[in-house]
Amino acid sequence: MTPGTASRIGWASVTPALLWTLAFFALPFLAMAIVSVYPKGGAGFSLANYGQFFTNPSYWRAMTNSIEVTAIVTVISVLLAYPFAWILAFVVPRRWQRLALMLAVLPFWTSYVVRSYAWLLVLAEKGVINTSLLELGAITEPLQLANTRTATVIGFVHFFVMLLTLTIYANLKQLSPNYRKAAADLGATPLQSFAHVILPLTLPGIMVGAFLTFVLAIGDYITPQILGGNNELLMPQLIMMQIGRRGDFSSASALSIILMVVVTLAYFACARWLRIERA
Amino acid sequence: MTLHSLACRLAGASIAALTAFGLAGQASAADLNALVWCDHADPNLLKPFEDANGIKVNVKEFEGTGAGLAIIEQSQPGDWDVMVIDSIDVPRGVERGLFEPLPEDQLPMADLFPEVKMDASTVVDGKRYGITEKFGYNTIGFNKSKADPQDMQSLAVLTGDKYKGRIAIYDYYLPVIGMAAMAIGKKTTELTEADLPAIKEVLTKMKANAKAVTDVVASQTALATGEVDVLVGGGEWVTAGIAKENPDLDFSIPKEGAVLWSQSLAMFKDSKNKDMALKFIQYIMSPEGQARLATSSCYWGMPASSKAALNDEQKAILRFAEQPEFLKRAQPYPAPSEDLDKKMQDLWTEMIQAQ
Amino acid sequence: MRTMIASVYAMALYGFIFLPVAMLVLFSFQGTLFPIPPFNGPSLRWYEAVLNDARLTSGLMNSILVAVTTSALATVLGFLSAWGFARFHLPGSALLRGLITLPLTVSYLIIGMGLLILFNWLGLPKSLIAAGIGHVVINLPLCFAIIYSQMGDHQANVERAARDLGASEIKVLLLITAPMLWPALFASFFLSMTFSWDEFVIAFLLTRFDTTLPVEIWNLLRAGLNPKTNAVGALVFGVSVMLAIIFELVALRRRNS
Repeated sequence: MTPGTASRIGWASVTPALLWTLAFFALPFLAMAIVSVYPKGGAGFSLANYGQFFTNPSYWRAMTNSIEVTAIVTVISVLLAYPFAWILAFVVPRRWQRLALMLAVLPFWTSYVVRSYAWLLVLAEKGVINTSLLELGAITEPLQLANTRTATVIGFVHFFVMLLTLTIYANLKQLSPNYRKAAADLGATPLQSFAHVILPLTLPGIMVGAFLTFVLAIGDYITPQILGGNNELLMPQLIMMQIGRRGDFSSASALSIILMVVVTLAYFACARWLRIERA
Repeated sequence: MTLHSLACRLAGASIAALTAFGLAGQASAADLNALVWCDHADPNLLKPFEDANGIKVNVKEFEGTGAGLAIIEQSQPGDWDVMVIDSIDVPRGVERGLFEPLPEDQLPMADLFPEVKMDASTVVDGKRYGITEKFGYNTIGFNKSKADPQDMQSLAVLTGDKYKGRIAIYDYYLPVIGMAAMAIGKKTTELTEADLPAIKEVLTKMKANAKAVTDVVASQTALATGEVDVLVGGGEWVTAGIAKENPDLDFSIPKEGAVLWSQSLAMFKDSKNKDMALKFIQYIMSPEGQARLATSSCYWGMPASSKAALNDEQKAILRFAEQPEFLKRAQPYPAPSEDLDKKMQDLWTEMIQAQ
Repeated sequence: MRTMIASVYAMALYGFIFLPVAMLVLFSFQGTLFPIPPFNGPSLRWYEAVLNDARLTSGLMNSILVAVTTSALATVLGFLSAWGFARFHLPGSALLRGLITLPLTVSYLIIGMGLLILFNWLGLPKSLIAAGIGHVVINLPLCFAIIYSQMGDHQANVERAARDLGASEIKVLLLITAPMLWPALFASFFLSMTFSWDEFVIAFLLTRFDTTLPVEIWNLLRAGLNPKTNAVGALVFGVSVMLAIIFELVALRRRNS
C-alpha cells in the first residue's frame, strides 16, 4: 500500500463522521450564534440578548442557581459513590460482584422522565417518606421536601450516584492489587495507602465522572422542572421558557451560548484528566 | 470495492432507512392536523369524530398563545388545519394572516352563551375568525375542608398572612397577573407598563406566601393531595375533573372578580383540508362534542354552547346555574402588546426568582 | 466490624437507589386516581389504560425504531472514524478527533435547539428523522471514544499480517478489525441505544405528531395526574431490565466461551 492510498483510505473512513459533526453540530451552533445577535422583534444586529443576562438579576440568578445546584450534586454524588464503588470492588466477594454492580445501576433503566416523577411521589407531603416518618413519630409536621431545591438535588444525585459508581468501580478494578500490597509492605496504614496511593491513582477516573456529572446536570431541564416546584429557575428552565412561552429563539440561543461557555470553562479546569487515550 | 465507496453505501443506506421511517411518519394528506390545548387530545373526544369520518386527527398540544405561534413559525404553510387559541388572541393570528374566516351560517352561533361570544376579538373587520368553544375562570381554587370559604371571597387573602405556606400559584403569567391587577383595582384590559411595579408588589407578596409555582398537573396534585389548600389561578379546570375523588375541592369568584379564560377554534387559511376542518369545528360545537370537550380528561370547563349534552351531575360540578352571576364579575385575560408581554414575562421570572 | 459498616452503607445506598422505583411500581397497581399512599390496590386498570392508549404504543414503536437505527448509524460512523484515526497518520488528527468528541461536552438542550434553528432555516419539517439526526450527534462521540480507546497495536499487527497475506483493505476491516473489536462495537451500540431510548429534550424540540416514548410520557404527565404514568414507567423498566439481562448473558457467554 502506497502512502498516497493509505492516506486516501484514512480520510475516506474519517470523513463521514467529520461531515456529520460539521453539518449537524458545528453548523447548528453557528446558526444559533447568528440568531442570538438578532433579537426577536428588534431592528437588526444587537447584543441586547447578552446584555439582559448581565443586567437582569433574575437571569443572572438562573446561572448562579444552576452552578450551585450542579456543584452540590457533583460533590455529593462523588462522596456517596466512591465508598459504594469501593465496597463493590473490594469487599463484595468476587463471584457476586457483577450481580451487585448490576443491581446498583438497575434503576438507571427506568425512563428518565418517569424517574423524576417517581421521586415527586416519594417526597410529596402525602408521599412515602412523610407518611412513614409521621407514623413512626419521628416528626409531627410533614417535611417540605417536594417542590424544593433539595428535591432537585435528590433527583439528580440518584441518577449520578449510579453513573459515578459505574465509572469509579471500573477505575478501581483496573488498579493492580500490588499497589495496595506494596504500600502495606512499606508500612503504610490503610488510610495512608488510600490517601497517597489509591486516591491519586483513581483521581483521573473521578474527574471524568465528575465532569460528566457537571455537563449532564447543568443542561438538564426535566429534573428541576418536575421536582423544583418553580421556586427558583435554573438555566435550562429559563432557556425553555424563552422558547415555550414566547418562541424567542434569539434570546434562548444567547442564553444557551452563555451556558456553553460555562461548561467549556469547566472542561478546561478538568482538561488534563479528560484526554481520550488509546489502550 | 474501495473503502470509500463502502462508507458511502453505508451512509446512503442509513439515510435511506432514516428517510423511509421519517416519511412513513409524516402526516398523510387525509389526516386532520390540529394544534390544540391538552383537553383536545382526549381519545373520548376525538374517537367518535375519527370513526364517523374515517380520518385520523393528529394533535399537537401547546400551552399559551406565544408557544402556539412559535410552533406555527417553525412549520410550513399547510401543515395545520385547525387551532385552539385564547379567544382574546384571535386577532394576533389574523394579523399574521394565519386564519380563514368561518361561515357563521354553518355554525350553531345561536346556541352560544352571549357573554362568551367575545365578538370584540373573534370577529375582525366584520368577519368571524374564531368561535368560542369552552370557558372558565382563573380565580381561587381551594379545599373547603381546610380553608374557610368566607376567606376566599376576597383576593386580599392571597397577600395576607393567614394562608402562608398553604398556597400554590398556577404557573401562567397572564391570568395571575390579571388577578394581581384586580386585587389593586385595575382593569385587566387597561394594563400598561406603568402598572407593573404595583402588580409586582402583589405578586411578590403572593410568592412569599406560596409553597410552589406549579403547572397544570402539579397544581392538581398539590391541591388534591393536601399539599396546599389554596391555588391562585385555579378554578373549575382544576377542581371539576377530580371532584369525584375529592369532593372538598371548590372555587370561588371573589368580590374583586375573576379572570375569564375562553378558548376559541380557528381554521388555517393554508389548510389543505378545509372541509374536514369545518366538520371538525362543527363536531366540537355540537351538543355531544361540547359535552365531551367540557369533561375532557385533561381539564374540565364550561361548554360555550348552552345545548351541551351534559347530565345533571356534570352540570352541578361545573356550577352551570351560577354562571350568569360569575360572568358579571369576570374580566377577560390581559392582552398585552409584544413589548408589554415581554415585560410581563420578565416580571414573572423575577417573581419566581425572588427569595 | 469493617465489613459490617460496609454492608450497612451498601444497603443504605441500595435502598436510596431502589426507593423511587419500588414506589413507582407499587403505585402502578393503585386502585384509585392518585398514586400516593394509602395503597388501595392491587388493580390492573392502569396497565389496561396504557395498553389501550394508541399514542403511548406508537411512541413505544417510534422509540425502538429511532434507538436502533440511530445507534447502528452512530456505531458505524464511530467505528470507521476510530479506525481511520488509529491506523493512519492524518494531518491535524488531534484537532479533528477533538471536533468529533466535542458534542460530548454540550448539553442535549443546546444541540436540540441548534438543530431546530438550522432545520427551520432550511425549511425542513419536524419529524422523527430530525430527532434521529440529533441522536446520532449525541451518540457518535461516545461510540468514537469507546472504539478508539480499544484500538490497540495488537490489532494493528494482526491487520498487517492479513494485508501481507493479500487481503484487501475492506476485507481486513470487515473480517479482521470489526470482529476483534466486537466487544467495543457491541458496547457502543448498546450504550447508544440506552441514551437514545431515554432522550427527551431533542425529541421534544424536533418532532411533531409522531414522537418518542419519553415525549409521550411527558405529555401524559402534563395532561393530568394518574397512575397511568406509573404503569408506563413500570413497563419501560421491566422491558429495559430484560434487555439488560440479555446483554449480560450475551456478554457472559462470550467471555466463557
